[in-house]
Amino acid sequence: MFVLLFIVSYALAGPASKLLETQINLEARALVSQLLKSGHVSSQQAQQVYNSIVQQLYNAYGLNKPVYIRVFYIIYNMLTFNWGYSEYPSEYGVSSGRVSDIIASALPGTILLDTFGILLSAFIGIQIGLRSALKYGSRTDRAVMYYGAISNGLPQWWVGVILLLVFSFYLSTIKSPIYFPAGGILSPQYYAEWFTSPVSVLTNPKALADLLWHFVLPLATVLIVNIGGWAYFARTVTLNTAQEDFVTFAKIKGLPDGRITSRYILRPAAPAILTSILLTLPFIIFGGFLITEAVFRWWGLGYVYNIAIFAPTPDMPVIVALTYASTLLYIGIVLVLEVLYVVLDPRIRSE
Amino acid sequence: MAARREFRILGMTPGEIWRGFIATTTGKIAVAFFAIMVAFSIYSLVALPPNFGQLWNTPSYWQANPKYAPPVWINAFTGNEYAPQLTITNYNFTSGSSGGVRYAVISFSVDNVYKTPWKDLFLLVNTPSVYNGTWVVYLTVTRPDGKTVQLGPDQISSRFNAFGLSSQIISQVDAFFQNNFGVANAVPQGSSAIPYLFYTVKDGKFVPLNGPYKFTVTIYAFGTSANISRKDIGVVLEGDAYGLMGTDFLGHDLWLGLLAGFPIDLAVGLLTAAIVVVLAILIGVVSAFYGGFADEVLTRVTDFFILFPAFPLLIIFSVMFQWSIWDAIVFLAAVSWGGSARVIRAMVMQIKNSQFIESALAAGAGKGWILRNHILPMVMPYTLYLFVVNVPGGILTLSAINFFNLAGAELPTWGNILAYANEFGALTSGYWWWVVPPGLLITFVAVTFIFVAMGLEPVVNPRLRHA
Repeated sequence: MFVLLFIVSYALAGPASKLLETQINLEARALVSQLLKSGHVSSQQAQQVYNSIVQQLYNAYGLNKPVYIRVFYIIYNMLTFNWGYSEYPSEYGVSSGRVSDIIASALPGTILLDTFGILLSAFIGIQIGLRSALKYGSRTDRAVMYYGAISNGLPQWWVGVILLLVFSFYLSTIKSPIYFPAGGILSPQYYAEWFTSPVSVLTNPKALADLLWHFVLPLATVLIVNIGGWAYFARTVTLNTAQEDFVTFAKIKGLPDGRITSRYILRPAAPAILTSILLTLPFIIFGGFLITEAVFRWWGLGYVYNIAIFAPTPDMPVIVALTYASTLLYIGIVLVLEVLYVVLDPRIRSE
Repeated sequence: MAARREFRILGMTPGEIWRGFIATTTGKIAVAFFAIMVAFSIYSLVALPPNFGQLWNTPSYWQANPKYAPPVWINAFTGNEYAPQLTITNYNFTSGSSGGVRYAVISFSVDNVYKTPWKDLFLLVNTPSVYNGTWVVYLTVTRPDGKTVQLGPDQISSRFNAFGLSSQIISQVDAFFQNNFGVANAVPQGSSAIPYLFYTVKDGKFVPLNGPYKFTVTIYAFGTSANISRKDIGVVLEGDAYGLMGTDFLGHDLWLGLLAGFPIDLAVGLLTAAIVVVLAILIGVVSAFYGGFADEVLTRVTDFFILFPAFPLLIIFSVMFQWSIWDAIVFLAAVSWGGSARVIRAMVMQIKNSQFIESALAAGAGKGWILRNHILPMVMPYTLYLFVVNVPGGILTLSAINFFNLAGAELPTWGNILAYANEFGALTSGYWWWVVPPGLLITFVAVTFIFVAMGLEPVVNPRLRHA
């Protein structure tokens, strides 16, 4: 994690400091030219003033120290959750401009779309996958298999674009009574409230309806693309387990089908499925959802990441904080997994 | 002399693997899809001139190869750095306010525009998202034969109005894109001005005029709340849909673009997968076969790369270092071999502990001999599967990166075509033929490789083979 943090901050610190230097020089020059215009100072004095201003600003921003020293400052601040202020606060619409506030404002959106969406599609997909695996070779099984394969090859953001084209553009063009918004997490009037206290938005029925209206298309995209993948995955895992010797033995023993399914197939398959769900979550937040959130302009961590990267220059504090937070999340999840493994997989317990 | 040893992998000859692959339904579909894909790539390489991929949207290329030029290739869209630029002369921009109404006047000329015939002409005005005013466009065209035609505001209708959008919906659609485009149709369809502009009558027939055209465009933009700047208003002159799949707003033939994307997108996927598999074999085999300290270190490294957030870092680095698509491929492959290496390591471990290796060791075989003659041949077919599995990942990731106009934004990859569509607001204008085919092609290629993998897996995976 620290290596990663180091790489990211190092790569970004160099160009960012160059920009900062140019900015400082420009500002100082503008100030000095104002002084010269007033006519009270000589050009030599002006040069002195210019030098002292630049020097002070360099010291204040830490530009007099080499890049690797500044990287350690950044890492120290990360570790103490001192994430500082965004360089382009106006891009985010969060008034304070603090990185932690920006991330906090984006978290509910991420939980709603990414976490909830993934868990829901995993739940549905795994149910479908299990059922189709138990009916191995049937027509529905083959249909599930092909749906899974195709959804693995579908770019999620493109599906989002297509849904927008159909349900947002064309439905509104033909003046249909039901159409969906072309983006955003809420209508503009609720944005300020959402940034400060999302809970109050959820309790206000009108705002909640608005949120759900905006939620339909993103959720549909997530479900369409992800259910297939999960179904395919669950099907493969279940089929692999169903071919193990102990399952054959249980069948020979003459145990009832339901018991074989629940105890001999599902139980051993559970760790693999669980690992996959948990390990996918942090990747999803910063992987495929980065673009999907951008397409729907859905106010989540992925969209914030997107804004930070495509700000006039990459908004370093936000990017580094997001990378750090995601890695932290990842390590936390791996820890949880280790514990759950022991509970679920008796083979590990015995070792 | 011993008979020539038959080449076998996992106890199967390549012919048996192929027959097993073909026996599955997925295998049959995969072969058909694969044939289509390869045929299109070869056709694209043969039918399009060399360098088409690199140069397809540069005007100098069109000048040299008029056959591949879009019907109109002016692009004076000043706000869009990604669009190919033609030299604009006499650019003038003034803005101010009068009686509470802000206005901007823009005028410019574009000289020496070749290639006719045009069936239609569009003016594209990019407005800021808060802009809620109107604009008036005057267009003067000087024909190759010296005649001058002026089109005034009475001949200009808004595309949005043509779609029957209410202002409320416009503002909603506008909110979707940071930059959005009001589209003014300079010459209404069915207008007699079109033949007059681009054709001349010879022997009672319309004959297209070929030669340099000169355009002078003057735009008066009025708004109440807008801060109109130079960046916000520009003009694209565009031809009517032509070619097999119509054109984009820049007048590119979409069919040629999609065709040119075939070899590039295929190469992207294949290259990524190739690098991934080579790295995975190296790391996996070394780690499992030599064990001990090397294994310990390499397993840690593998774990690190499994955790590596490749996608966001790929975006960051492409922004910072202006990466081309090949740089991006190398980076993506260099960080995404973790999972494959782990699989290979597990397989080699399993083979290494089996009894025939023990007997080979007992018979006095060296480590290198066992590696060459037992382990690598048994791992090889599975690496074929790993290779195929890794191809769609590369294609999907790189097209997503391209969708952000990063990593080789000048190439006609399908991701870039979609990025253009997004950039020019294809959704707000209902240009579905610009959005649907590239995505379908990405899916098609990815699904082909997934099907190949699905057909291959039961053949090459020893665990599934017994079933």
